[in-house]
Amino acid sequence: MSNRTITYLSNACMITCVVQNNLAETVLEAAKNSGAQGATINYARGTGVRERLGLLGVTIDEQKEVIRIIVSEDQADLIFEAMFLAGKLDTPGKGIMFMTKLDRVATYIPDAVLNSIE
Amino acid sequence: MRYSDYLNQVNVRHRTVSYNLLTSKSKSKDKGSLTPPKIELSAKQAFDLLAPYCSSRIMEQVKAVVPLAAYLMIFQILVLRHPIEAALILCLGLIAVIIGLAVFMEGLSTGLMPFGTIIGDNLPKKASMPVVLCIIGILGVGVTFAEPAIGALQAFGSSVDVNAAPYLYEILNNWTMPLVLMVGGGVGIAAILGTIRFVRGWSLKPMIYGALFPVVLLTIYAWLDPNLKSILGLAWDCGAVTTGPVTVPLVLSLGIGIANAAGKGNSSLSGFGVVTMASLFPILAVLVLAIFVSLTISPGEIIAAAKMSAITIQTEPSIWEKTPLVEIVLGVRAILPLVLFLMAVLFLVLKSSLPNRMITIYGLVLSIIGMCIFNIGLTYGLGAIGSQTGSVLPAAFMELPISQFSPIYPELVGLAIVIGFAFLLGFGATLAEPALNALGITVQNLTNGAFKKEMLMYSVASGVAIGIALGISKLVLGFDLMMVLLPLYGVGVLLTIISSEEFVNVAWDSAGVTTGPVTVPLVLAMGLGLGNAVSAVEGFGILSLASICPIIAVLTMGVVIRIMNKSQDSSTEDEIVSDALVKDQS
Repeated sequence: MSNRTITYLSNACMITCVVQNNLAETVLEAAKNSGAQGATINYARGTGVRERLGLLGVTIDEQKEVIRIIVSEDQADLIFEAMFLAGKLDTPGKGIMFMTKLDRVATYIPDAVLNSIE
Repeated sequence: MRYSDYLNQVNVRHRTVSYNLLTSKSKSKDKGSLTPPKIELSAKQAFDLLAPYCSSRIMEQVKAVVPLAAYLMIFQILVLRHPIEAALILCLGLIAVIIGLAVFMEGLSTGLMPFGTIIGDNLPKKASMPVVLCIIGILGVGVTFAEPAIGALQAFGSSVDVNAAPYLYEILNNWTMPLVLMVGGGVGIAAILGTIRFVRGWSLKPMIYGALFPVVLLTIYAWLDPNLKSILGLAWDCGAVTTGPVTVPLVLSLGIGIANAAGKGNSSLSGFGVVTMASLFPILAVLVLAIFVSLTISPGEIIAAAKMSAITIQTEPSIWEKTPLVEIVLGVRAILPLVLFLMAVLFLVLKSSLPNRMITIYGLVLSIIGMCIFNIGLTYGLGAIGSQTGSVLPAAFMELPISQFSPIYPELVGLAIVIGFAFLLGFGATLAEPALNALGITVQNLTNGAFKKEMLMYSVASGVAIGIALGISKLVLGFDLMMVLLPLYGVGVLLTIISSEEFVNVAWDSAGVTTGPVTVPLVLAMGLGLGNAVSAVEGFGILSLASICPIIAVLTMGVVIRIMNKSQDSSTEDEIVSDALVKDQS
């Protein structure tokens, strides 16, 4: 056996939030202020509402930013809500977000952090 | 966290609805009922969608226009102690510039750009290389007409004194159409060469030498001819005017599409180089036109004709030459040919239809409306404030009839103030240019962070600032433009020889990127106003100096960074070695 170990994190959720181009920054800020540790942002192209709106569809940017954040279950609801409110997802055309439960998460965890919880 | 704590932190209501209830159910076998219906919006919801859409686009232009205009006005009031004339019309004009640019840019991205992408992606598959190159060449002419800043050249033609510079007057007044056509032709040739370069993967360096050689040759020819000499400033300025927000993205998207289709599009530098060519060839084209004009008409005839027209012009301008209509005609004439040509290529050559018809047509209509509003703003806003400040500027160091305080400062102090003003203007205007930010990010990625974004932005901005300061001092002190310009290009070529290919690409393109639709008219108008006030022969040349200086600045930075990297590389190697030694010991 090698002396390397993998520490699995359980009770983790992933929040995915799709917003119009250039709106990710405010959503991220809100997530970090409510305890999110980090985030991954992708660029993507969206379709759907833009076509169904007719001419008003021009107001919706085809370019999207997809934010993915891994959070603990305890934080999840609070961060989800903060992101929703910051992104003003309750107004039309802003974006969509969802949360999924993760089976396991692994990354580098400093020894000091691990020792402190044991 | 306890659930009660969570509830305390939450201040919105929650409810849960099953998504099953919202999606359409397939009761019948009819497939059509499954597609989601068109969304109907209330006025409030439509406003919620439209408000951020409009405000973000207008704010973008406000950021580009307002600081510059405010700087000019404050300088004029505080330093030159001259009230702003026709302030209300000026402000309305500036608002027209902001709205016009916002509408035009939106039309460009929703209407014109999809054309460029579709044609660029599909054309090489359906047509042979000569046909493709031919279409790109014609497109170069079309985009030049559509360039907002090109209208500035036409608008300021009448301010030239016919006796001092007959050929300049003749070309700007009676040959405007051939002038724009020649400039467009130059851009077209540049686009063709740039595309061939993409496909063949040629180096940019020999192309720069090759393009500069005839330019310099013709320049020297014109320089030696006392009548043609006055045209040089205009010719070299044309290069800077052409590379604006229409030409660069449209030609690039075509070129990159073609390079991809030819299988050579993977080079990280494939997007560069076209802008450089597009700013060198128009110089050549304008010089050729000027020499052609000089062979057909003598200066005496021009002066006589100008006197004749000066008498006849006072009869009455027709309704088409009055203010709102002439700008609208100019705007439609600028965009329509390009749109018709793109449509012809799409329908006849590619035999495909518009991608998203309603949105594309909306974009095209927007770009025409935007161009018309911008043209009005150009005359009453940017052009007016530029020429006003330009004509009062000399009051800082010499006596002017229009300014009662003049000369405000002792001659040397006044000169320093004027040149400092020009320096700051160039620096600020360039840093505000959004295209520069984009270029900075590209360069940072390209050089793996060796060339920081801020470093590029500041070196380009200080280059432009030095260029504009030089240009203003050329007008004020009255030295010969070519005495400065040619040696500067010489330095540029020297630095090009010793620089690496990447930096050559970036540096020569940075010049074209910096001259946007706000800076160009403002600087042109200021130069012409200043030129008239100090009774210089012509006020052109500032833009050409503002083009070469950033090239030299970026190339110099590139050389400095390479030298620094070399010494750093050896030191990092040392560190690695010493690290390894430390590990061995432990």
